[in-house]
Amino acid sequence: MTCDGVFTGRWVRWFAESVSTTEPELTDLDRRVGDGDFGTNLLVGLTTTIRVLDGSPGAPGSPETPPAAGPLEMMAGVFLDEVGGTSGPLFGLVFQELAAAARAAGPVLTGAAVEQGIDAGLAAVRRVGEAEPGDKTMVDALLPAVTAVRRAGPLPADRALALAAGGARRGVSETARLRARRGRAGYLGDRVTGVPDPGAVGVALLFASAAGPVTALSPWWERGVTRAHLPGTRLDGPESGTDTGTGAGVPAGR
Amino acid sequence: MVAYFATEPESLLADALNGFCRVHADLVVRDAGGGYLRARHPSPGRRVGLVSGGGSGHEPLHIGFVGAGMLDAACPGRVFTSPHNRQILEASRAVAGPEGVLHIVKNYTGDRINFGIAAERLAHLGIPCARVLVDDDLATATDGPGPGRRGTAATVLVEKVLGAAADRGADLPELLRLGERVTARCRSLAVASRSHALPATGDPAFELARNEVEFGVGIHGERAERAIPREPLTRLLERMTDPLLAALAPAREEPVILLVNGLGAVTELELYAIHDAVERLLHKRGVTSARCAVGEFVTTLDMRGFSLTLMVTDRETLELYDAPVHTPVWRW
Repeated sequence: MTCDGVFTGRWVRWFAESVSTTEPELTDLDRRVGDGDFGTNLLVGLTTTIRVLDGSPGAPGSPETPPAAGPLEMMAGVFLDEVGGTSGPLFGLVFQELAAAARAAGPVLTGAAVEQGIDAGLAAVRRVGEAEPGDKTMVDALLPAVTAVRRAGPLPADRALALAAGGARRGVSETARLRARRGRAGYLGDRVTGVPDPGAVGVALLFASAAGPVTALSPWWERGVTRAHLPGTRLDGPESGTDTGTGAGVPAGR
Repeated sequence: MVAYFATEPESLLADALNGFCRVHADLVVRDAGGGYLRARHPSPGRRVGLVSGGGSGHEPLHIGFVGAGMLDAACPGRVFTSPHNRQILEASRAVAGPEGVLHIVKNYTGDRINFGIAAERLAHLGIPCARVLVDDDLATATDGPGPGRRGTAATVLVEKVLGAAADRGADLPELLRLGERVTARCRSLAVASRSHALPATGDPAFELARNEVEFGVGIHGERAERAIPREPLTRLLERMTDPLLAALAPAREEPVILLVNGLGAVTELELYAIHDAVERLLHKRGVTSARCAVGEFVTTLDMRGFSLTLMVTDRETLELYDAPVHTPVWRW
Protein backbone atom coordinates (compact mmCIF):
# COMPACT_ATOMS: atom_id res chain seq x y z
CA MET A 1 0.00 0.00 0.00
CA THR A 2 1.27 3.49 -0.82
CA CYS A 3 0.91 5.53 2.34
CA ASP A 4 0.70 8.95 0.70
CA GLY A 5 -1.61 11.87 1.40
CA VAL A 6 -4.60 9.85 0.18
CA PHE A 7 -3.80 7.26 2.83
CA THR A 8 -3.40 9.79 5.66
CA GLY A 9 -6.47 11.71 4.47
CA ARG A 10 -8.52 8.53 4.62
CA TRP A 11 -7.02 7.74 8.02
CA VAL A 12 -8.10 11.11 9.39
CA ARG A 13 -11.61 10.66 7.94
CA TRP A 14 -11.90 7.16 9.42
CA PHE A 15 -10.71 8.53 12.76
CA ALA A 16 -13.47 11.16 12.57
CA GLU A 17 -15.98 8.42 11.74
CA SER A 18 -14.76 6.29 14.67
CA VAL A 19 -15.10 9.17 17.11
CA SER A 20 -18.47 10.18 15.71
CA THR A 21 -19.82 6.63 16.16
CA THR A 22 -18.34 6.05 19.60
CA GLU A 23 -18.81 9.57 21.01
CA PRO A 24 -21.64 8.53 23.38
CA GLU A 25 -19.40 5.79 24.81
CA LEU A 26 -16.43 8.16 25.10
CA THR A 27 -18.58 10.73 26.82
CA ASP A 28 -19.96 8.14 29.21
CA LEU A 29 -16.41 7.03 30.06
CA ASP A 30 -15.30 10.59 30.64
CA ARG A 31 -18.29 11.27 32.87
CA ARG A 32 -17.00 8.52 35.10
CA VAL A 33 -13.40 9.73 35.32
CA GLY A 34 -13.40 13.36 34.13
CA ASP A 35 -15.72 16.22 33.37
CA GLY A 36 -17.49 14.57 30.46
CA ASP A 37 -16.35 16.85 27.66
CA PHE A 38 -13.67 14.65 26.13
CA GLY A 39 -15.82 12.96 23.47
CA THR A 40 -17.39 16.24 22.42
CA ASN A 41 -14.05 18.06 22.24
CA LEU A 42 -12.56 15.29 20.12
CA LEU A 43 -15.60 15.25 17.83
CA VAL A 44 -15.67 19.03 17.41
CA GLY A 45 -11.97 18.98 16.52
CA LEU A 46 -12.40 16.22 13.97
CA THR A 47 -15.52 17.73 12.41
CA THR A 48 -13.60 20.97 11.93
CA THR A 49 -10.62 19.05 10.56
CA ILE A 50 -12.80 17.33 7.96
CA ARG A 51 -14.21 20.70 6.91
CA VAL A 52 -10.66 22.04 6.43
CA LEU A 53 -9.66 18.84 4.64
CA ASP A 54 -12.64 19.07 2.27
CA GLY A 55 -11.62 22.54 1.21
CA SER A 56 -7.96 21.68 0.61
CA PRO A 57 -5.99 20.36 -2.37
CA GLY A 58 -6.07 16.60 -2.44
CA ALA A 59 -9.68 16.39 -1.25
CA PRO A 60 -11.65 13.52 -2.86
CA GLY A 61 -12.25 14.36 -6.49
CA SER A 62 -9.41 16.86 -6.80
CA PRO A 63 -6.45 15.99 -9.03
CA GLU A 64 -3.36 16.48 -6.82
CA THR A 65 -2.14 13.91 -4.34
CA PRO A 66 -0.97 15.78 -1.25
CA PRO A 67 2.05 14.68 0.75
CA ALA A 68 1.26 12.35 3.64
CA ALA A 69 1.99 15.12 6.14
CA GLY A 70 -0.75 17.43 4.77
CA PRO A 71 -3.87 16.00 6.45
CA LEU A 72 -1.97 15.39 9.70
CA GLU A 73 -0.78 19.00 9.75
CA MET A 74 -4.33 20.22 9.25
CA MET A 75 -5.58 18.05 12.10
CA ALA A 76 -2.73 19.28 14.34
CA GLY A 77 -3.50 22.92 13.57
CA VAL A 78 -7.20 22.54 14.34
CA PHE A 79 -6.66 20.65 17.59
CA LEU A 80 -3.99 23.05 18.86
CA ASP A 81 -5.80 26.22 17.83
CA GLU A 82 -9.46 25.55 18.27
CA VAL A 83 -10.20 22.70 20.63
CA GLY A 84 -10.94 23.56 24.25
CA GLY A 85 -10.12 21.70 27.41
CA THR A 86 -6.73 20.17 28.06
CA SER A 87 -6.94 16.85 26.24
CA GLY A 88 -7.78 18.34 22.82
CA PRO A 89 -4.59 20.40 22.57
CA LEU A 90 -2.58 17.50 24.04
CA PHE A 91 -3.85 15.36 21.15
CA GLY A 92 -2.84 18.26 18.93
CA LEU A 93 0.73 17.84 20.19
CA VAL A 94 0.72 14.17 19.12
CA PHE A 95 -0.67 15.10 15.69
CA GLN A 96 1.94 17.85 15.40
CA GLU A 97 4.76 15.37 16.00
CA LEU A 98 3.25 12.76 13.64
CA ALA A 99 2.93 15.47 11.00
CA ALA A 100 6.51 16.69 11.52
CA ALA A 101 7.87 13.12 11.24
CA ALA A 102 5.78 12.53 8.11
CA ARG A 103 7.01 15.83 6.63
CA ALA A 104 10.61 14.85 7.27
CA ALA A 105 10.08 11.41 5.71
CA GLY A 106 8.92 12.87 2.38
CA PRO A 107 5.72 12.54 0.34
CA VAL A 108 5.03 9.00 1.55
CA LEU A 109 4.59 7.98 5.17
CA THR A 110 7.00 5.30 6.37
CA GLY A 111 6.92 2.93 9.32
CA ALA A 112 10.00 4.67 10.70
CA ALA A 113 8.17 8.01 10.54
CA VAL A 114 5.21 6.48 12.39
CA GLU A 115 7.55 5.28 15.14
CA GLN A 116 9.41 8.59 15.25
CA GLY A 117 6.14 10.59 15.30
CA ILE A 118 4.55 8.58 18.12
CA ASP A 119 7.77 8.69 20.10
CA ALA A 120 8.09 12.47 19.74
CA GLY A 121 4.38 12.87 20.51
CA LEU A 122 4.79 10.80 23.66
CA ALA A 123 7.76 12.94 24.71
CA ALA A 124 5.83 16.18 24.09
CA VAL A 125 2.80 14.98 26.06
CA ARG A 126 5.05 13.90 28.92
CA ARG A 127 6.85 17.26 28.93
CA VAL A 128 3.71 19.35 28.83
CA GLY A 129 1.31 17.20 30.80
CA GLU A 130 4.03 16.16 33.25
CA ALA A 131 2.52 12.68 33.24
CA GLU A 132 4.50 9.53 33.92
CA PRO A 133 3.67 6.05 32.69
CA GLY A 134 1.13 4.55 35.11
CA ASP A 135 -0.58 7.87 35.85
CA LYS A 136 -3.64 6.67 33.88
CA THR A 137 -3.37 9.11 30.99
CA MET A 138 -2.87 8.99 27.22
CA VAL A 139 0.81 8.35 27.95
CA ASP A 140 -0.22 4.81 28.92
CA ALA A 141 -1.46 4.18 25.38
CA LEU A 142 1.30 6.04 23.53
CA LEU A 143 4.14 4.23 25.28
CA PRO A 144 3.04 0.64 24.46
CA ALA A 145 2.15 1.84 20.95
CA VAL A 146 5.67 3.03 20.24
CA THR A 147 7.16 -0.01 21.93
CA ALA A 148 5.14 -2.35 19.70
CA VAL A 149 6.30 -0.55 16.57
CA ARG A 150 9.92 -0.36 17.66
CA ARG A 151 10.09 -4.03 18.58
CA ALA A 152 8.89 -5.10 15.13
CA GLY A 153 11.68 -3.40 13.16
CA PRO A 154 11.30 -1.84 9.69
CA LEU A 155 7.74 -1.98 8.38
CA PRO A 156 5.46 -0.12 5.99
CA ALA A 157 3.42 2.63 7.65
CA ASP A 158 0.06 0.86 7.57
CA ARG A 159 1.54 -2.19 9.27
CA ALA A 160 3.32 -0.01 11.83
CA LEU A 161 0.03 1.74 12.63
CA ALA A 162 -1.71 -1.62 13.12
CA LEU A 163 0.98 -2.58 15.62
CA ALA A 164 0.64 0.80 17.31
CA ALA A 165 -3.10 0.20 17.57
CA GLY A 166 -2.52 -3.16 19.22
CA GLY A 167 -0.01 -1.72 21.67
CA ALA A 168 -2.30 1.20 22.50
CA ARG A 169 -5.24 -1.14 23.11
CA ARG A 170 -3.24 -3.20 25.54
CA GLY A 171 -2.33 0.08 27.23
CA VAL A 172 -6.01 1.02 27.44
CA SER A 173 -6.78 -2.27 29.18
CA GLU A 174 -3.99 -1.55 31.63
CA THR A 175 -5.35 1.91 32.43
CA ALA A 176 -8.59 0.30 33.55
CA ARG A 177 -6.63 -1.34 36.35
CA LEU A 178 -4.78 1.83 37.32
CA ARG A 179 -5.56 4.39 39.94
CA ALA A 180 -5.53 7.90 38.48
CA ARG A 181 -2.84 10.25 39.71
CA ARG A 182 -3.08 13.21 37.36
CA GLY A 183 -5.79 15.33 35.81
CA ARG A 184 -9.27 15.57 37.23
CA ALA A 185 -9.47 11.83 37.76
CA GLY A 186 -6.55 12.25 40.17
CA TYR A 187 -8.99 13.52 42.79
CA LEU A 188 -11.22 10.45 42.49
CA GLY A 189 -8.78 7.80 43.68
CA ASP A 190 -10.12 4.27 43.79
CA ARG A 191 -13.52 5.30 42.48
CA VAL A 192 -12.19 5.23 38.91
CA THR A 193 -10.35 1.93 39.14
CA GLY A 194 -11.93 -0.38 36.57
CA VAL A 195 -12.65 2.42 34.13
CA PRO A 196 -10.10 2.96 31.35
CA ASP A 197 -8.72 6.43 30.68
CA PRO A 198 -10.67 8.16 27.88
CA GLY A 199 -7.52 9.86 26.59
CA ALA A 200 -5.82 6.49 26.23
CA VAL A 201 -8.92 5.17 24.45
CA GLY A 202 -8.71 8.14 22.08
CA VAL A 203 -5.09 7.26 21.25
CA ALA A 204 -6.06 3.65 20.51
CA LEU A 205 -8.93 4.86 18.32
CA LEU A 206 -6.53 7.08 16.41
CA PHE A 207 -4.17 4.25 15.44
CA ALA A 208 -6.90 1.65 14.89
CA SER A 209 -8.71 4.00 12.52
CA ALA A 210 -5.84 3.79 10.02
CA ALA A 211 -7.26 0.37 9.10
CA GLY A 212 -10.90 1.47 9.02
CA PRO A 213 -13.52 3.11 11.19
CA VAL A 214 -14.06 1.64 14.67
CA THR A 215 -17.71 1.02 15.39
CA ALA A 216 -17.81 0.13 19.09
CA LEU A 217 -15.57 0.74 22.07
CA SER A 218 -16.73 -1.42 24.87
CA PRO A 219 -15.40 -4.82 23.78
CA TRP A 220 -11.92 -3.32 23.79
CA TRP A 221 -11.28 -2.76 27.40
CA GLU A 222 -13.74 -5.25 28.79
CA ARG A 223 -12.17 -8.07 26.87
CA GLY A 224 -8.75 -6.59 27.47
CA VAL A 225 -9.18 -6.69 31.22
CA THR A 226 -10.51 -10.22 31.14
CA ARG A 227 -7.66 -11.42 28.97
CA ALA A 228 -5.10 -9.67 31.09
CA HIS A 229 -6.22 -11.80 33.97
CA LEU A 230 -6.14 -15.10 32.09
CA PRO A 231 -2.85 -16.88 32.61
CA GLY A 232 -1.08 -17.97 29.47
CA THR A 233 -2.69 -15.40 27.17
CA ARG A 234 -0.07 -13.85 24.97
CA LEU A 235 -0.46 -10.12 25.44
CA ASP A 236 2.92 -8.82 24.50
CA GLY A 237 3.44 -10.24 21.01
CA PRO A 238 2.57 -8.18 17.95
CA GLU A 239 -0.13 -10.63 16.87
CA SER A 240 -2.28 -10.22 19.93
CA GLY A 241 -2.52 -6.53 19.20
CA THR A 242 -3.57 -6.66 15.59
CA ASP A 243 -6.75 -8.69 15.74
CA THR A 244 -8.69 -6.44 13.45
CA GLY A 245 -11.27 -9.07 12.63
CA THR A 246 -12.99 -10.36 15.70
CA GLY A 247 -15.15 -8.27 17.88
CA ALA A 248 -12.79 -5.34 18.07
CA GLY A 249 -15.17 -3.22 16.09
CA VAL A 250 -12.65 -2.84 13.31
CA PRO A 251 -13.71 -4.45 10.07
CA ALA A 252 -10.92 -6.52 8.60
CA GLY A 253 -9.61 -5.87 5.13
CA ARG A 254 -10.63 -2.23 4.82
CA MET B 1 -25.20 37.81 48.03
CA VAL B 2 -23.43 40.77 46.39
CA ALA B 3 -24.71 42.33 43.17
CA TYR B 4 -22.06 42.93 40.51
CA PHE B 5 -22.79 46.10 38.57
CA ALA B 6 -21.79 44.30 35.40
CA THR B 7 -24.93 42.35 34.55
CA GLU B 8 -23.40 40.54 31.56
CA PRO B 9 -20.88 38.09 33.02
CA GLU B 10 -20.35 36.63 29.54
CA SER B 11 -19.02 39.87 28.08
CA LEU B 12 -17.43 41.28 31.25
CA LEU B 13 -13.86 40.41 30.23
CA ALA B 14 -14.14 41.64 26.64
CA ASP B 15 -15.83 44.86 27.76
CA ALA B 16 -13.18 45.44 30.43
CA LEU B 17 -10.34 44.86 27.96
CA ASN B 18 -11.94 47.32 25.53
CA GLY B 19 -12.13 49.93 28.23
CA PHE B 20 -8.63 49.25 29.51
CA CYS B 21 -7.08 49.54 26.07
CA ARG B 22 -8.93 52.74 25.32
CA VAL B 23 -7.80 54.37 28.56
CA HIS B 24 -4.20 53.21 28.14
CA ALA B 25 -4.06 53.54 24.36
CA ASP B 26 -0.70 55.32 24.67
CA LEU B 27 0.82 52.23 26.30
CA VAL B 28 -0.95 49.07 25.14
CA VAL B 29 -2.42 47.67 21.93
CA ARG B 30 -4.95 44.88 21.91
CA ASP B 31 -4.89 42.13 19.34
CA ALA B 32 -8.44 40.88 19.80
CA GLY B 33 -8.08 38.08 17.23
CA GLY B 34 -4.88 36.82 18.83
CA GLY B 35 -6.29 37.30 22.33
CA TYR B 36 -3.43 39.30 23.80
CA LEU B 37 -2.32 42.82 24.72
CA ARG B 38 1.09 44.10 23.74
CA ALA B 39 3.21 47.10 24.57
CA ARG B 40 2.79 49.97 22.12
CA HIS B 41 6.34 51.18 22.79
CA PRO B 42 8.36 48.15 23.86
CA SER B 43 11.81 48.77 25.29
CA PRO B 44 14.32 49.15 22.48
CA GLY B 45 17.28 46.86 22.63
CA ARG B 46 15.56 43.82 24.08
CA ARG B 47 16.87 40.56 22.67
CA VAL B 48 14.15 38.49 24.33
CA GLY B 49 10.41 39.21 24.49
CA LEU B 50 8.65 38.81 27.84
CA VAL B 51 5.19 37.23 27.86
CA SER B 52 2.96 36.43 30.80
CA GLY B 53 -0.70 35.69 31.26
CA GLY B 54 -3.24 33.78 33.26
CA GLY B 55 -6.86 33.80 34.25
CA SER B 56 -8.62 37.14 34.64
CA GLY B 57 -10.09 38.35 37.91
CA HIS B 58 -6.66 39.31 39.31
CA GLU B 59 -6.49 42.81 37.81
CA PRO B 60 -4.33 44.76 37.43
CA LEU B 61 -2.23 41.57 36.89
CA HIS B 62 -1.09 40.98 34.09
CA ILE B 63 -2.43 43.60 31.69
CA GLY B 64 -1.53 46.51 33.97
CA PHE B 65 2.15 45.61 33.74
CA VAL B 66 2.48 45.62 29.96
CA GLY B 67 4.83 48.33 28.75
CA ALA B 68 8.42 49.51 28.62
CA GLY B 69 10.46 47.96 31.39
CA MET B 70 8.09 45.06 32.10
CA LEU B 71 5.98 42.78 29.88
CA ASP B 72 5.97 42.89 26.09
CA ALA B 73 2.65 41.04 26.03
CA ALA B 74 0.01 39.61 28.35
CA CYS B 75 -2.60 36.94 27.61
CA PRO B 76 -5.77 37.21 29.69
CA GLY B 77 -7.83 34.04 30.04
CA ARG B 78 -11.44 33.97 31.17
CA VAL B 79 -12.01 34.62 34.88
CA PHE B 80 -9.81 32.21 36.86
CA THR B 81 -9.18 30.17 33.68
CA SER B 82 -5.85 29.73 31.93
CA PRO B 83 -5.45 31.45 28.57
CA HIS B 84 -5.65 29.15 25.53
CA ASN B 85 -2.32 28.02 24.13
CA ARG B 86 -3.12 29.86 20.89
CA GLN B 87 -3.23 33.22 22.69
CA ILE B 88 0.19 32.51 24.19
CA LEU B 89 1.56 31.33 20.86
CA GLU B 90 0.29 34.40 19.00
CA ALA B 91 1.57 36.78 21.67
CA SER B 92 4.96 35.04 21.73
CA ARG B 93 5.31 35.19 17.95
CA ALA B 94 4.36 38.86 17.96
CA VAL B 95 6.90 39.97 20.56
CA ALA B 96 9.71 37.41 20.30
CA GLY B 97 13.11 39.09 20.09
CA PRO B 98 16.06 37.89 18.02
CA GLU B 99 16.88 35.51 20.89
CA GLY B 100 13.36 34.31 21.51
CA VAL B 101 10.77 34.69 24.21
CA LEU B 102 10.54 34.17 27.96
CA HIS B 103 7.30 32.99 29.55
CA ILE B 104 6.61 34.07 33.12
CA VAL B 105 4.08 31.55 34.44
CA LYS B 106 2.29 31.31 37.76
CA ASN B 107 2.36 27.78 39.10
CA TYR B 108 -1.10 26.37 38.29
CA THR B 109 -1.75 23.20 36.31
CA GLY B 110 -3.80 24.88 33.58
CA ASP B 111 -1.26 27.65 33.05
CA ARG B 112 1.62 25.19 32.99
CA ILE B 113 -0.09 23.05 30.36
CA ASN B 114 -1.18 25.88 28.09
CA PHE B 115 2.15 27.70 28.25
CA GLY B 116 3.78 24.31 27.73
CA ILE B 117 1.78 23.60 24.57
CA ALA B 118 2.62 27.06 23.24
CA ALA B 119 6.30 26.37 23.97
CA GLU B 120 6.13 23.10 21.99
CA ARG B 121 4.61 24.96 19.05
CA LEU B 122 7.23 27.71 19.27
CA ALA B 123 9.93 25.05 19.14
CA HIS B 124 8.42 23.76 15.88
CA LEU B 125 8.57 27.31 14.52
CA GLY B 126 12.22 27.62 15.51
CA ILE B 127 11.58 30.33 18.14
CA PRO B 128 13.62 29.74 21.33
CA CYS B 129 11.46 29.80 24.44
CA ALA B 130 12.11 29.36 28.15
CA ARG B 131 9.94 29.52 31.24
CA VAL B 132 10.25 31.10 34.66
CA LEU B 133 7.77 29.58 37.08
CA VAL B 134 6.56 31.78 39.94
CA ASP B 135 5.70 29.77 43.06
CA ASP B 136 5.78 32.11 46.03
CA ASP B 137 2.72 31.10 48.08
CA LEU B 138 4.05 29.85 51.38
CA ALA B 139 0.62 28.50 52.37
CA THR B 140 1.04 25.71 49.83
CA ALA B 141 4.59 24.72 50.74
CA THR B 142 4.78 20.96 51.29
CA ASP B 143 7.53 18.42 51.34
CA GLY B 144 7.61 15.75 48.69
CA PRO B 145 5.84 15.48 45.33
CA GLY B 146 2.71 17.36 44.37
CA PRO B 147 1.77 20.47 42.45
CA GLY B 148 4.12 22.67 44.53
CA ARG B 149 3.55 26.20 45.78
CA ARG B 150 1.03 28.38 43.95
CA GLY B 151 2.12 31.51 42.13
CA THR B 152 0.68 34.73 43.57
CA ALA B 153 1.62 38.36 44.19
CA ALA B 154 5.41 37.97 43.78
CA THR B 155 4.66 37.67 40.05
CA VAL B 156 4.73 41.46 39.64
CA LEU B 157 8.14 41.73 41.32
CA VAL B 158 9.50 38.93 39.13
CA GLU B 159 8.09 40.63 36.03
CA LYS B 160 9.68 43.92 37.07
CA VAL B 161 13.14 42.51 37.72
CA LEU B 162 13.17 40.36 34.58
CA GLY B 163 11.83 43.25 32.49
CA ALA B 164 14.70 45.47 33.56
CA ALA B 165 17.22 42.71 32.85
CA ALA B 166 15.69 42.18 29.40
CA ASP B 167 16.01 45.95 28.78
CA ARG B 168 19.74 45.65 29.46
CA GLY B 169 19.98 43.09 26.68
CA ALA B 170 20.14 39.90 28.76
CA ASP B 171 19.86 36.76 26.65
CA LEU B 172 17.50 33.85 27.29
CA PRO B 173 19.82 31.75 29.51
CA GLU B 174 20.72 34.83 31.57
CA LEU B 175 17.05 35.70 32.09
CA LEU B 176 16.26 32.13 33.01
CA ARG B 177 19.04 32.03 35.61
CA LEU B 178 17.99 35.40 37.05
CA GLY B 179 14.35 34.29 37.09
CA GLU B 180 15.18 31.13 38.98
CA ARG B 181 17.30 33.09 41.43
CA VAL B 182 14.64 35.70 42.23
CA THR B 183 11.68 33.32 42.37
CA ALA B 184 13.62 31.23 44.88
CA ARG B 185 13.99 34.32 47.06
CA CYS B 186 10.39 35.52 47.35
CA ARG B 187 7.46 34.23 49.36
CA SER B 188 3.92 35.44 50.01
CA LEU B 189 1.09 34.78 52.42
CA ALA B 190 -2.53 35.90 52.06
CA VAL B 191 -5.43 36.24 54.48
CA ALA B 192 -9.09 37.07 53.96
CA SER B 193 -11.93 38.13 56.19
CA ARG B 194 -14.55 37.68 53.43
CA SER B 195 -14.48 35.63 50.24
CA HIS B 196 -14.98 37.10 46.79
CA ALA B 197 -18.39 36.91 45.13
CA LEU B 198 -18.87 34.90 41.96
CA PRO B 199 -19.55 37.26 39.02
CA ALA B 200 -22.31 35.10 37.55
CA THR B 201 -24.41 34.79 40.70
CA GLY B 202 -23.04 37.24 43.25
CA ASP B 203 -22.84 34.40 45.76
CA PRO B 204 -19.81 34.19 48.04
CA ALA B 205 -17.25 31.60 46.95
CA PHE B 206 -16.99 30.40 50.55
CA GLU B 207 -18.42 31.30 53.93
CA LEU B 208 -16.47 32.58 56.91
CA ALA B 209 -17.83 33.19 60.36
CA ARG B 210 -17.99 36.80 61.50
CA ASN B 211 -14.86 36.69 63.59
CA GLU B 212 -12.76 34.40 61.45
CA VAL B 213 -9.83 35.03 59.14
CA GLU B 214 -8.93 32.56 56.39
CA PHE B 215 -5.18 32.15 56.90
CA GLY B 216 -3.33 31.20 53.70
CA VAL B 217 -6.11 31.76 51.18
CA GLY B 218 -5.33 31.36 47.44
CA ILE B 219 -5.89 33.99 44.76
CA HIS B 220 -8.79 32.02 43.30
CA GLY B 221 -10.38 31.65 46.69
CA GLU B 222 -8.72 28.29 47.34
CA ARG B 223 -9.51 27.53 50.95
CA ALA B 224 -6.70 27.62 53.44
CA GLU B 225 -5.83 24.78 55.74
CA ARG B 226 -7.41 26.71 58.59
CA ALA B 227 -9.43 29.72 59.59
CA ILE B 228 -8.19 31.50 62.71
CA PRO B 229 -10.05 33.77 65.11
CA ARG B 230 -9.75 37.49 64.42
CA GLU B 231 -6.94 39.02 66.47
CA PRO B 232 -5.08 42.33 66.85
CA LEU B 233 -3.48 43.42 63.57
CA THR B 234 0.08 43.33 64.90
CA ARG B 235 -0.41 39.75 66.06
CA LEU B 236 -1.86 38.72 62.67
CA LEU B 237 1.03 40.38 60.85
CA GLU B 238 3.55 38.58 63.06
CA ARG B 239 1.80 35.35 62.25
CA MET B 240 2.32 36.15 58.54
CA THR B 241 5.75 37.79 58.57
CA ASP B 242 7.61 35.36 60.81
CA PRO B 243 7.07 32.28 58.61
CA LEU B 244 7.98 34.33 55.53
CA LEU B 245 11.26 35.37 57.17
CA ALA B 246 11.88 31.84 58.38
CA ALA B 247 11.42 30.47 54.86
CA LEU B 248 13.57 33.13 53.21
CA ALA B 249 16.22 33.55 55.91
CA PRO B 250 17.66 36.84 54.63
CA ALA B 251 21.24 37.52 55.68
CA ARG B 252 21.93 40.70 57.61
CA GLU B 253 23.20 42.63 54.60
CA GLU B 254 20.34 41.49 52.36
CA PRO B 255 17.50 44.00 52.26
CA VAL B 256 14.01 42.98 51.19
CA ILE B 257 11.35 44.43 48.94
CA LEU B 258 7.99 44.46 50.68
CA LEU B 259 4.73 44.23 48.76
CA VAL B 260 1.49 44.91 50.62
CA ASN B 261 -1.19 43.76 48.19
CA GLY B 262 -4.93 44.27 48.52
CA LEU B 263 -6.99 41.33 47.24
CA GLY B 264 -9.83 43.49 45.96
CA ALA B 265 -11.91 44.99 48.76
CA VAL B 266 -9.54 46.22 51.46
CA THR B 267 -9.38 50.00 51.84
CA GLU B 268 -6.17 51.85 51.07
CA LEU B 269 -6.46 53.30 54.54
CA GLU B 270 -6.04 49.80 55.94
CA LEU B 271 -3.33 48.79 53.46
CA TYR B 272 -1.13 51.70 54.53
CA ALA B 273 -1.77 50.94 58.19
CA ILE B 274 -0.78 47.34 57.50
CA HIS B 275 2.34 48.55 55.75
CA ASP B 276 3.27 50.72 58.71
CA ALA B 277 2.88 47.82 61.14
CA VAL B 278 4.88 45.41 58.94
CA GLU B 279 7.73 47.93 58.62
CA ARG B 280 7.93 48.21 62.40
CA LEU B 281 7.84 44.45 62.69
CA LEU B 282 10.63 43.98 60.14
CA HIS B 283 12.72 46.58 61.94
CA LYS B 284 12.22 44.70 65.18
CA ARG B 285 13.37 41.50 63.47
CA GLY B 286 16.50 43.26 62.18
CA VAL B 287 15.41 43.15 58.54
CA THR B 288 15.86 46.17 56.29
CA SER B 289 13.08 46.83 53.84
CA ALA B 290 14.79 48.69 51.01
CA ARG B 291 11.72 49.23 48.83
CA CYS B 292 8.02 48.80 49.27
CA ALA B 293 4.86 48.95 47.22
CA VAL B 294 1.37 49.28 48.66
CA GLY B 295 -1.82 48.88 46.67
CA GLU B 296 -3.74 46.39 44.54
CA PHE B 297 -1.50 44.39 42.22
CA VAL B 298 -2.79 40.81 42.21
CA THR B 299 -6.41 40.62 43.30
CA THR B 300 -9.13 38.01 43.72
CA LEU B 301 -12.16 39.84 42.30
CA ASP B 302 -13.67 41.55 45.38
CA MET B 303 -12.12 39.44 48.12
CA ARG B 304 -11.69 41.26 51.42
CA GLY B 305 -8.13 40.24 52.08
CA PHE B 306 -4.51 41.15 51.61
CA SER B 307 -1.21 39.47 51.04
CA LEU B 308 2.34 40.20 52.13
CA THR B 309 5.23 39.41 49.80
CA LEU B 310 8.89 39.61 50.69
CA MET B 311 11.62 39.41 48.09
CA VAL B 312 15.18 39.13 49.35
CA THR B 313 17.45 41.25 47.18
CA ASP B 314 21.07 41.83 46.35
CA ARG B 315 22.56 44.89 44.68
CA GLU B 316 21.71 43.66 41.21
CA THR B 317 18.06 42.84 41.85
CA LEU B 318 17.56 46.17 43.66
CA GLU B 319 19.05 48.02 40.69
CA LEU B 320 16.76 46.10 38.36
CA TYR B 321 13.76 46.90 40.52
CA ASP B 322 14.73 50.59 40.47
CA ALA B 323 15.23 50.70 36.69
CA PRO B 324 12.74 52.85 34.74
CA VAL B 325 9.34 51.38 33.96
CA HIS B 326 6.35 52.77 32.10
CA THR B 327 3.19 50.69 32.32
CA PRO B 328 -0.43 51.44 33.21
CA VAL B 329 0.24 50.59 36.87
CA TRP B 330 3.93 51.14 37.58
CA ARG B 331 5.81 54.19 36.31
CA TRP B 332 9.14 55.42 37.61
